[in-house]
Amino acid sequence: MSNQGSKVIKLSSGCTNPVTCPLNQVKAGTAVKIKQLDAPPEVAHRLREMGFCEEQKLRLLTQNTTIICQVCNARFGLSTDLARQILVEPLPVFRQAS
Amino acid sequence: MPPITDKPVAPAQVVLTGNPNCGKTTVFNALTGLRAKVGNYPGVTVERKEGRLLGVAREITMLDLPGTYSLSPNSPDEQIARDVLLQRIAKVPAPDLVVIVVDASNLHRNLYFATQVIELGYRTILALNMVDVATQNGKAVNPRLLSELLEVPVIPLVASQGSGIAELRLEIVRFLDAPRPAHPGFFGDLPPVYLREIASLAELLGGQAAPGAPFNRHAEALLLLGDSRPVKSLVLAQPAPIQDQARAARRRLEEAGLDWGTKPIEARYACIAALCDAVITEMADVRETLSDRLDRVLTHKIWGVLIFLGLMTLMFNSIFILAKLPMEALDAGVNWLGQQVGRMVPPGDLHSLLEQGVFAGVGAVVVFLPQICILFLFIGLLEDTGYMSRAAFIMDRFMSKVGLQGKCFIPLLSSYACAIPGIMATRTIENFRDRLATILIAPLMSCSARLPVYTLLIAACIPDRQLAGWIPLQSLTMLGLYLLGTGAALLVAWLFKSTFLKGPPPLLIMELPPYKRPTLQGVLLHMWQRARMFLHSAGTLILCLNIVLWFLATYPHSAEREQHFAQLRQAVGSGVAPAGVGQAALAARVEREIAELNAQEAAERLQTSFAGRMGRFIEPVLAPLGFDWKIGIGIIASFAAREVFVSTMSTVYSVGNADPSASNRSLVQTLREQIRPDGGRLYTPASGLSLMVFYVFALQCASTVAIVRRETNSWKWPVFQWCYLAVVAWIMAFATYRLLLYLGF
Repeated sequence: MSNQGSKVIKLSSGCTNPVTCPLNQVKAGTAVKIKQLDAPPEVAHRLREMGFCEEQKLRLLTQNTTIICQVCNARFGLSTDLARQILVEPLPVFRQAS
Repeated sequence: MPPITDKPVAPAQVVLTGNPNCGKTTVFNALTGLRAKVGNYPGVTVERKEGRLLGVAREITMLDLPGTYSLSPNSPDEQIARDVLLQRIAKVPAPDLVVIVVDASNLHRNLYFATQVIELGYRTILALNMVDVATQNGKAVNPRLLSELLEVPVIPLVASQGSGIAELRLEIVRFLDAPRPAHPGFFGDLPPVYLREIASLAELLGGQAAPGAPFNRHAEALLLLGDSRPVKSLVLAQPAPIQDQARAARRRLEEAGLDWGTKPIEARYACIAALCDAVITEMADVRETLSDRLDRVLTHKIWGVLIFLGLMTLMFNSIFILAKLPMEALDAGVNWLGQQVGRMVPPGDLHSLLEQGVFAGVGAVVVFLPQICILFLFIGLLEDTGYMSRAAFIMDRFMSKVGLQGKCFIPLLSSYACAIPGIMATRTIENFRDRLATILIAPLMSCSARLPVYTLLIAACIPDRQLAGWIPLQSLTMLGLYLLGTGAALLVAWLFKSTFLKGPPPLLIMELPPYKRPTLQGVLLHMWQRARMFLHSAGTLILCLNIVLWFLATYPHSAEREQHFAQLRQAVGSGVAPAGVGQAALAARVEREIAELNAQEAAERLQTSFAGRMGRFIEPVLAPLGFDWKIGIGIIASFAAREVFVSTMSTVYSVGNADPSASNRSLVQTLREQIRPDGGRLYTPASGLSLMVFYVFALQCASTVAIVRRETNSWKWPVFQWCYLAVVAWIMAFATYRLLLYLGF
C-alpha cells in the first residue's frame, strides 16, 4: 500500500507537546485554537473581551520576540510574556504527503 | 397637569463612542467641523473633546469619548468612556443619544462593545464605518439586517471620504425626538441563575436615585458582576453595600458552578458570531490584504527596525531643519513686537517687565512652536496611517529592557526637541507607571534649549583641538553630552521601574489596525489642537513664572545707584570734543560710553537683585563644582528657560549686547578672561564640563515643571522630579570636576 496521494495528519506547529502548548512556542503561519488562559484574572478578562476566548481559533502571523496574530479578522501584537500565558492547541494541518 | 415627557432640553447631548481605530475621530471631525473644544475631564488628564453638530438648526453638543474595547475599563481613557455612559461624572450631562461607531471590516470585535452600549438602553445609532475597507476585504455587510437584529438604526459610512455623514446627521436629529427605546434584553444567553442575580443587583442599583436620563440598570448589574475589580469610578465610587452584594452574588454563582467572569463574555461572543454569520456575506476569499503585505515588511525583525529608525531620523531632522526658519522668524517677530511695545511704554518698571519678563521670557518658549507643530504633524501622520501601533510594537523589545514599553519611545524622542511636547505626548501611554516614568526621565533628553548653553561653554572652555589627530574635541564633547543624558535617562527609568514604580511587567497586547490613508484635515486638526494647548500653557503658567523670575532679577531697586549712573551718563553726554575730533566721532564715542555705562548698571543691578543675592547664597553649594556666585546667578535666571543662561551671563559680565552675534563672540572671550580669586582661570575645561554636565541633568526649566504639574495633576511629581534631578546634577557635576582636576585639567 502506498501513501502516495493520500492525506496524512501532521503537526506542523513546532511544539513538542501535541495537546496544548504556550502560544509563544508555536511556529509562525500556524492556525491554533485557544484552550486556556493562564494569565491573571484582569488580563484574562481583557483578553477574552478582545476575542481571545477559549475555543477561539487564531492564526499566528509572525513569531519574533514579539508576536503578531489574527483573531476574528483583527490583528494583534502580543509580547512573548503574554503569549506564554495563552495555551493553545495546534490545529491539525492537512498536507499532501510526498 | 401637563404630561411629563423626557424630551431632551436644548442643547441636546450626543455622545460618540466606539473601539479604538474605528475612525471615530474622523466621524467626529466630519460632524463638528474645525471648531471642537479640547479640554480635560475634571481631575484627570483624559482629553475631553466637544463640539457642536454642524449643519443643523438645533443646538446639539457632540462629545467624543476616548476609544474603548469594553465597558470594563483598563485605562483612565476607558474609565472615562464608561463613566460618561453610566452617568458617573457630575459635570458631564447625561447622554440623550449615543452614536456607536463600528469598523465594518472588523465587525466581530467591534460588536462586543457596541452590544454592551446598546444594552444600556439609550437612544442609540450604529454608524457602520469603513464599509469600503470591508468591501476590499471581500465582505459585504447588510446594514438593514444588522439594524433589524440589533434593533437600532444603522447608517453605513465611509467617514474618510465624507460619505454617509449627511445621513448620519439627519438621523441624529430625527432620532433625538424618538421615544426612548424599551430596555433591550442581553445579547447572548445567560443561565437563569445569572439573570436572577442580575435582576436583584439591578434593583439595588436602581434604588439610588439617578438624576439624569434613566438607563438600563440590568446592564450595569451585568458589568458589575462580570468584573471582580472593585468598580472604582474616577469620580464616584460604587457604595459599599452594592459591592458587598455583588461579591455575595459572585460567590453564589461560583457555588452554582458558573464562571461569572467568562460566562457573559462567551455568551456575548456566541451571539455576535451568529449575528455576523447572518449579516456578513463573504464575496471573495481575499487571502492577503495590502495591510498583510505591508506588515510583512514593516514589522519584520530586521527591515521593520531599519525602516522605523529611518523614519525617526527623518522626523528628528525635520524638527530641527524645517523648524529653523520659522523659529528664527518667530524669534525676530517676538523681538520686534517687544521693541514696539517698549517704545510705547516709558522707561521704568513696566517697561522692563514687558521687555524682559513677558517678551524675552515667554518669547523664549514660544519660539519652539514650529518644532512642536512639526512634531505633532508627524505624530498625527503616524497615528492616522496606523503605523504608530507598529512602531510601538517594534520598540517594545528594546524599551522593555529598561522596564518601559514601546509607546514610551516617541515622547522620549520628542523631548530632544523640547520636553514640553514630549511630556504632552505621553498621554498615549495607558499604564500610569510607565507614563510617569517617561515623564520623569523626559527632561534628561538634551532639548534644543540646551544647545546655546552647550555651544557657549564648549567654545569658551574646550580647546579647539583634534583628538588622535582627526576627532574634533569640541564636537566630541557635544556628542558626549547628548549620550550622557540619554544613557542616564535609560538607567534612571530602569531604576524607577524596578523600585517605586515597580509593577507587573506590562503585558503588551496591542491592536494593529489596517493601514489607511490619513486625511489632511484630521492631521492638521490634531496638530492645531496640540499647538493651541502649548500656546495656552505658555500664555498662562509660563507667563506667570517668567514674571516671578523677572521680579527676582530686577528688585530691589537702589535709588542711589540709579542717581549715580544718571550723573555719569550726564557727564559723558556733556563732554566737549577735544581738538581734532569731529562731531560725528564724538557722538559715536558718547554713544559707546553710554552703552558701556548701561551695561555696567545692568550688571550691578543684577548682582544686587534678589537673584544676585540668591546666587551668593547658593555659592557655598556651587563652589565644590567649580562655579562662583556669578554662575549661580546664571543658573537661577536660566530657570525661566535654559538658553536664558547665555543672555544672563552677558549681563552679569556687562558685555554690551547691541549686536547679538558679536556679543556671543565677545562673551566667549569674556568668559575666557574670567579669573578666580586665586588667580587661575574660572572657565577651565574642568569647570566648563562640570557646568555642562550640570545642565544635562538639572531640571532648569520652569515650563517643564509647570507641564508636569498639569499632566500628573499634583505637585508631588514635579517637586520630586526637580529634587532628584538637582541631586543627580550636583553629584555628577562634582564627580566630573573632581575627576578632571585630579587628571590635571
